[in-house]
Amino acid sequence: MSEALLRIDDLHVAFSTRRGMVEAVRGVTLTVEKGEMLGLVGESGSGKSVTGFATTRLLDAAGRVTGGRILFRGQDVTKLGGDDLRQLQGAAMSMIFQNPRAALNPIRAIGLQIADAILTHKRISKEAARAEALDLLRAVQIREPEARMNAYPHELSGGMCQRVMIAIAISCNPALLIADEPTTGLDVATQKVVMDLLADIAAARGMATILITHDLGLAARYCRRIAVMERGRIVEEASPKTLFSTPQHAYTRRLVAASPTSTSRIEDLVTEEEREGYAAMLGKPRLEPAYGTPPLLEVRKLAKRFDEGSAAVADFSMTMAGGESVGLVGESGSGKSTTSRMICRLIDPSEGDIVFDGQSVGHIASRDFHRSPLRKDIQMVFQDPNESLNPRFTAFDCIAHPLMRLDGMRAGEALRKRVEECAERVGLPLELLPRFPHQLSGGQKARVGIARAIACRPRLLVLDEPTAALDVSVQAVVLQLLDRLRRENDIALLFVSHDLNVVRMLCDRTIVLRNGGIVEQGESRALFDNPKTDYTRKLVEAIPHIETGKMLAAAL
Amino acid sequence: MLSYILRRIVSTLPVMAIVALFVFSLLYIAPGDPAVVIAGDQASPEDVERIRQSLGLDRPFLIQFGSWVWRILHGDLGTSIFTNLPVSALIGQRLGPTLSLMIVTLLLTIVIAVPLGVVAAWKAGSLIDRVIMGFAVFGFSLPVFVVGYMLAYIFALELEWLPVQGYTPLAQGFWPWLENLILPAVALGCVYIALIARITRATMLEVLQQDYIRTARAKGLGQGGILFVHALKNAAVPIVTVIGIGIALLIGGAVVTESVFAIPGLGRLTIDAILRRDYPVIQGIVLLFSFVYVLVNLMIDVIYTLVDPRIRY
Repeated sequence: MSEALLRIDDLHVAFSTRRGMVEAVRGVTLTVEKGEMLGLVGESGSGKSVTGFATTRLLDAAGRVTGGRILFRGQDVTKLGGDDLRQLQGAAMSMIFQNPRAALNPIRAIGLQIADAILTHKRISKEAARAEALDLLRAVQIREPEARMNAYPHELSGGMCQRVMIAIAISCNPALLIADEPTTGLDVATQKVVMDLLADIAAARGMATILITHDLGLAARYCRRIAVMERGRIVEEASPKTLFSTPQHAYTRRLVAASPTSTSRIEDLVTEEEREGYAAMLGKPRLEPAYGTPPLLEVRKLAKRFDEGSAAVADFSMTMAGGESVGLVGESGSGKSTTSRMICRLIDPSEGDIVFDGQSVGHIASRDFHRSPLRKDIQMVFQDPNESLNPRFTAFDCIAHPLMRLDGMRAGEALRKRVEECAERVGLPLELLPRFPHQLSGGQKARVGIARAIACRPRLLVLDEPTAALDVSVQAVVLQLLDRLRRENDIALLFVSHDLNVVRMLCDRTIVLRNGGIVEQGESRALFDNPKTDYTRKLVEAIPHIETGKMLAAAL
Repeated sequence: MLSYILRRIVSTLPVMAIVALFVFSLLYIAPGDPAVVIAGDQASPEDVERIRQSLGLDRPFLIQFGSWVWRILHGDLGTSIFTNLPVSALIGQRLGPTLSLMIVTLLLTIVIAVPLGVVAAWKAGSLIDRVIMGFAVFGFSLPVFVVGYMLAYIFALELEWLPVQGYTPLAQGFWPWLENLILPAVALGCVYIALIARITRATMLEVLQQDYIRTARAKGLGQGGILFVHALKNAAVPIVTVIGIGIALLIGGAVVTESVFAIPGLGRLTIDAILRRDYPVIQGIVLLFSFVYVLVNLMIDVIYTLVDPRIRY
C-alpha cells in the first residue's frame, strides 16, 4: 500500500489560558488517502477544528502542538517554517471556514482576493492572475463572473461568499482541502448546493477533503468514512452505514440518537435520564381549548417594506391558539425573521394588523411597545445565545431584568425567588446564576435566554432559530424543554427555523415562506410528507437524511 | 462620488454660518461696550465715538453681521486696529510658516506612528511592544515646551546639528526650510506620535483577530502582505479619525511651539492679537482655523468612503 496523503500520528495540541495549559487534542491518529473525502464529526469543544488548524498550521498564537506528527506527503508539517510553510499553505493544502462572510476581507474586491492567493504561489502577471480568478469564479458557478470580480463580500449572499472561499481554496490546485463547518449558517437549500459543488470539484480535481462538521447527516451524505471525535480523541471511525446501524462507542450512539431525522420524535433524541418526567407528561391528554375561544394571535395582511425597496414580507396572515406551536420555515431571505420580529413588535409593519388576545397591537410603534402591558405576554428567544446576552450581566441579572422592568419587582427576596424558579424551570443549576455569559457553555447560555424570555410568564414565545448555534445533544434537551413549557404552561410557540426536522418534531402546524409570501401551510407531518409545492419539496429534499434511520431505531 | 462630495460641501455651509455668527459675536460677548473694549484703557470719549462710527457699531446687530459677512465673502477680513494693516495681509504673511510646521509635523507623525503601532500590534506582548508603548506613555506626558527646549539644547546647542530657532521660507531652498522645522515638528509631534501609535496598535490588534486575517494566512500570504495590505487598510477608519482630530489639536500646539522656536507664524500673531485686543485679527484667525477644521473633516469623510466600500454615500 502506498503512503497516505496525510497521516496524523498521536497528535496533541494544547492552549495556554489564564488557568494554565488546556489540552484540546489528546492523541488523534488518522489518515487521509488521495482524493478521499473524510468526515470529522464531533460537538463543539471536541477538538475537530483544532485538529484541522494544526494540520494547516493556522492555530492561534496561544495554541501549540505538544506532541505527535502530522505527515503530509511524508513531510512533518509541524516542523516546517518560513518559506517551506508558505509553499504549503494555500498551495498544497488549503482551508475553507465557517462563516464565509467574515472569512473574506470586507474592503477588498473578491477578484483581488482570489488573485492574491494565485500571485502568492505562481510567478505570473497580475493580468494572468485576474484571468485565472475569473475562471475560478466560473468553476464555482457564480453567475455573471465578470461583474462579480469587482464585488465586495457585503454585496454577496452567504452562499456566494462560501463559493468565493472555495475558489480561493482551490486556486492553486491543492492536494488536500480542509473544510471547517463550510455550510453551518447557510440554509438547507444553499447548503446542498454548496456541498454538491464542493464534492464535484474535489472529485474532478482528485483533491482529498476533510469535512469537519457537527452534522452527522451531512457527513453521512458526502463521506465514505467518518471519524467521530469527543473531548480531543477519536472515539470511532467507520463508514456512515456502520456508524448509524451499529455505533460502537457510547458517545457515537448518543450523537446518532440526538441527530433529528425525518421520523424521530423529541423524546427519541435525549437519553434516558434527560427524559425523566417528560415521558409522563406526554401521557397526559392536552386540554383542547373550549369551542369559540378567540385565537391568541391573529395576524392580518402583514407587510414590511424597507427603504422603498420591494416588500420583504407581503400579505402575511395567520392565527395561533393559546399553547399551539407553529413553525415558520423558508430559505434565508424568505422573510421569516422579519415576520417574527414584527409579531414580537421589535420592528414596525408597513401594512396590516396584529391582534393579540383581542387587542390590536400592530399600530403601536415598536419603540413604545415596551410600555404596553402586553410586552410581558409576547417574548422572544434569539438565535445566538452567545451574542444576545449582555456580557456584563450575570445570568441572574439577565433573568431579573425583565421582572424588574415589566413586572415592577424590586431587588430583594421575592425577586431572587422568582429568578430561581425560572432557572429551575429551564433546568439551569442555581449555582450558575452568579456567572457571566463567558463562563457558561452554549447550552447553559441558551437556557438563560429561555429563562429570561419566560420570566414574566408570557403567553406567546417567538423563537428565532433558538438551537441553530447549539450542538445536537444540547439542541435535543432544549427542544424537550420548549415542548414541556408549551404543554405545562400553555405558552404558544412561534418557531422560526431552517431546520425542517426540528420544526416537524416541535410544531403542530408549519407555514412555508418564500420571498416574503406564504407558499404553503398545514399540519406539520402532512406538509413534510406530502409537500404540495416544488419549493417545499426542494427544502425537504435538501435536508441531509440519515438513510439508515430505521435500522438505527432497531439497534437502540 | 462627485455628487457626494458636492453634497458634503453644501452641508458644511450651515456649520460655517454658525461659526461666522459666533466669531462675529465675540465682540459682543466680551463684557462692556465693544467700542470701549476696542479703544482700550487710555481712550478719550471722542476716540470711542470715532471707533463706533467707523466700525458701524451704532447700527442694528443683524445689519452689522450681514455687512460683515458680505465683506468676508469678498475677501475683506477688516483692518487691524493696532497696525492699521488689512487682516488678510497680516494672516497671509504668517500663513506660510504655520502651514509648513503643521504639514511637516503631520507627515512626520504618520510616518513614525503608524509603523510603530503596526509593529507593536504584530509583536503584541513582546519586548518591542513594551518599548514602543513605554515611549508612547512618555510622549503623552511631556509638554511641548519641555520637549522643545530639551531638543533645542541637545541637537542645536550641544551637537550643533540643527539651527536653534527661526524660519526660512521654502522659496530659499528645501533644506534650509526643512532644517529649521525638524526640531519644532518633533517637539510638536511627540504627543500625536504617542496617540496615533496607540490607536493604531489597538485597532490592529482587533483586526488581526478577524477571520479574514486567518484566511490570508491560509492563502500563504507573507507577513508584510497580511499586515499592510489586509490588516492596516481595515484598521484605517479609526486611525484616520484620530489623525483628523490630531490636526485640530495641532493648531493649539502650534501656538506654543512657535513661541519656543521663534517661528513667525499664526500662533505668534494670535497671541499678539489677543494681548492687544485686536478683535478684527482675532476674528480673522478664528474664522480661518474653523474653516481649515471643517475642510479637514470633509477630507476625512471622503477618505472613509475611499477606504471602506461598505460606507455608502
